[in-house]
Amino acid sequence: MLKLIGNRLLQMLLIMAVVSLVIFAIFDSDKFKKQIAVAELGGFAVSALSDQDYEAWLDRKGLNVPFYDRYLKWVGGVVTGDFGRSFEKAEPVSRLLGERLINTGVLAFWVFALMVPISLTLGIVAGMREGALQDRAVSFVAVLTTSLPEIATAIVLTVIFALGLQWVPANSAMVNGWDWRQLALPVLTLVLYDCGYVTRMTRASMAEVMTSQYIRTAVLKGLPHRRVILRHALRNALIAPFTIIALQLNWILSGVVVVEVFFQYAGFGKLLLDAALFGDVYVIQAATLVAVFVAVVSQIISDVGYTFLNPRIRFS
Amino acid sequence: MIPRKPRDSDHPKVHEAFRLMKSGRMDRREFIRVAALLGTSATAAYALAGLPEPAFAAGNMPFPADDPKAKAGGILKIAMEVQKMEDPATYSWVPMSNQTRHTLEYLVMTGPDNVTRPMLAESWTAAEDLKTWTFNLCKGVMWHNGEEFTADHVKWNVERWLDPKTASSNVGLSVFSAMVDVTDEKDAKGKPIKRMSKGAIEVVDKHTIRFHLNKPVLSAPEDCYNYPTAIAHPSFKPPLSDNIIGTGPFELAMLKVGDRCILKRVAKTKDGKDFNYWGGKVYLDEIHYYNFETSNQLPAFASGDVDGVYQFSVEQLDLAKSLPGAIHIARTAQTIACRMQVDQKPFTDKRVRQAVLKSVDNEAVKKLVYPEGGDVGEDHHVAPVHPDFASLPPIKRDVAAAKQLLKEAGYENGIELTIDVGNTDGTEQQTACEAMRDQMKEAGITLKINILPSAKFWEIWDKTLFGCTAWTHRPLGTMAMSLAYRTGVPWNESHYANPEFDKALDAAEATLEVNERKPKLMKAAKILQDDAVMIMPYFRPIYTIVGKSVQGYDGHPTQYHQFNKVWKA
Repeated sequence: MLKLIGNRLLQMLLIMAVVSLVIFAIFDSDKFKKQIAVAELGGFAVSALSDQDYEAWLDRKGLNVPFYDRYLKWVGGVVTGDFGRSFEKAEPVSRLLGERLINTGVLAFWVFALMVPISLTLGIVAGMREGALQDRAVSFVAVLTTSLPEIATAIVLTVIFALGLQWVPANSAMVNGWDWRQLALPVLTLVLYDCGYVTRMTRASMAEVMTSQYIRTAVLKGLPHRRVILRHALRNALIAPFTIIALQLNWILSGVVVVEVFFQYAGFGKLLLDAALFGDVYVIQAATLVAVFVAVVSQIISDVGYTFLNPRIRFS
Repeated sequence: MIPRKPRDSDHPKVHEAFRLMKSGRMDRREFIRVAALLGTSATAAYALAGLPEPAFAAGNMPFPADDPKAKAGGILKIAMEVQKMEDPATYSWVPMSNQTRHTLEYLVMTGPDNVTRPMLAESWTAAEDLKTWTFNLCKGVMWHNGEEFTADHVKWNVERWLDPKTASSNVGLSVFSAMVDVTDEKDAKGKPIKRMSKGAIEVVDKHTIRFHLNKPVLSAPEDCYNYPTAIAHPSFKPPLSDNIIGTGPFELAMLKVGDRCILKRVAKTKDGKDFNYWGGKVYLDEIHYYNFETSNQLPAFASGDVDGVYQFSVEQLDLAKSLPGAIHIARTAQTIACRMQVDQKPFTDKRVRQAVLKSVDNEAVKKLVYPEGGDVGEDHHVAPVHPDFASLPPIKRDVAAAKQLLKEAGYENGIELTIDVGNTDGTEQQTACEAMRDQMKEAGITLKINILPSAKFWEIWDKTLFGCTAWTHRPLGTMAMSLAYRTGVPWNESHYANPEFDKALDAAEATLEVNERKPKLMKAAKILQDDAVMIMPYFRPIYTIVGKSVQGYDGHPTQYHQFNKVWKA
């Protein structure tokens, strides 16, 4: 097990090194340097700059040094926790990243806190009796919420709960300080979208388990239905959803751009989008490293959890 | 006592302008603008013109008079894009200058009436040849670190703007471009390097500074309110947001780019003294800017998160009307230029360009995009809001003529064109191009619209063959024409080069009297229109809204914020 974790972490470092090198190489081009100049100085000003003025600007921004020098300096900084300075936001990337990760962490916590119990319960209820009314009803709702894009769900929820009933605010910019009510709509949007997916997975897993030989034996032995479900079916039925849920961690980190942008929520996804549009290379680098880290760690959690849920699985 | 004629000490051109006004050859608003630029106080200029001074300026101050009903205190919250504050001399967006405007101030201030009034400079005088300008600075102005503001500080700023290493766009302004000379030095591509002329700045005494120009410039004070000309303390080192020392009534308490910018009143200087603001009473305790993209600013106002917005789009006008608040619609010279590069095929053939123009009905496009406010364009860059504007004979859509021109140019089966659109000022640009596309179709022109992210568009705005570029407001028609269409100037995106046009523009720029200038400028405009360089379908209005509790707010055509006398009921 430890060897597995060690291997995965080594792989992660390798991926990080390759990805960061590639991103640095891409953003070292004249085109991207110009993009940063345009974003910072404006298109009119850049076109009026003489070559000398432009070179002076590159010098001031530290963009006029060879690629490998900049990369090695950046790697040295990362080792000591310094991820560089954001061109767009003009502050240390580590601080910026920390704040945004906390915001997305809060969002993720509430999404998981609601989504996991709801989707597991619904999935199990639906999978217990395949084809029954409860299965059809749950499956219909699950397919509906999953098939609606997040942006559509966000608009519908905003129209009903913010503009219509006026129960919650329409945006989550937290202008007047932290307000839990502003978290309601982004959390609900993500829960609805993700719930359907995890419910479907749980339902499929549960339905499969319910048709297996040992469940049939348990039923034929006359065990109470409740005991068959809780003692025999549930543990095996949770293996597949567990993997799916662990992988949602990665999705919620970088896959919620639409929701964060729609509700103006200052999270990690919005930061990544802003950085990509600006060409803010140090922010993109740091965000990518975090995304790789979370992807690998969620994979490790998934693998390790697997072995606990299913002792037959062994990693060599 | 109300003055009946200019004082003997006023600039000779003020006397000349006064005579022109009296003889009916210069309108009164233009006289006020010219007189104020040449050092006559705004109050005296308004009195000479026989007009009451507007509410947004009192006496020789750039700010409105104090409202006896005004209440001190409160926080004004505005939705705007919150940008970084790196170096005021290289600012390129108005929002970042708005974040700075209440902390770093300007030598002068141009109001919504286009009149330039004293700010850190209490008065100014110009030599008769308009080549020497003397600015008398206010005494007793205090920096936030307790130092007194002096002429040396202004000199330090101007020298910095003119240093090529600063890369400030200020060097392109008329007054500062007249303070640099071409040197023998060459850059990497062999282009000559410009440096500040010897003796261009003279510090006469502690509170007097003189600019010696190498050519006459009328707009010297006006140029000193361009947004990158904010006066910084000589201790300044970028980024500004790390240690901002200004003369304004507010200081930066917090800046989170893309999130919020909090400004708080200065109570004590950095060395512990009481801070005395030179500009009189200021009512607000704090100004907060919260980051919202343009499309989200009005919803933020509607939800009560903010007291006002930087701007909202025309599509949101109906929503704005349904909200409790005061809508301000500013008439401006902001526009889009759907310009063709005249030295690139197929636009080298004037008949193709003329066909493009003839296939479009500007009035219909304007009505579709801006049903309220705004002005119809005439395919040149002088706007009805400019004092030197005069209408040319109306241009009419003529599909048959467009088809004939295309046929003569060898495109009898029609032509396919692509226009790059960046929607840099909102999706109205795309809407306008879509309307043009539908109109052009009838003439056999298939227009493809290539939508680019705004950042991407700004990379190619002056390189694309056919592009839709947003141009901001300029107070004079001559300024707009000179910046964009004079042969070889940096922002000549259409690559237009016509000595006849340049000559006509030179003649207009050298004419003080506006009624005399109008026909000269419109001659240049007609040349440009006949050469069919661009479709300029409209001049857009700027929409803003503030809540009913916000008092003393007035919209500015350049969207500059100055909240010294704004208060909350």
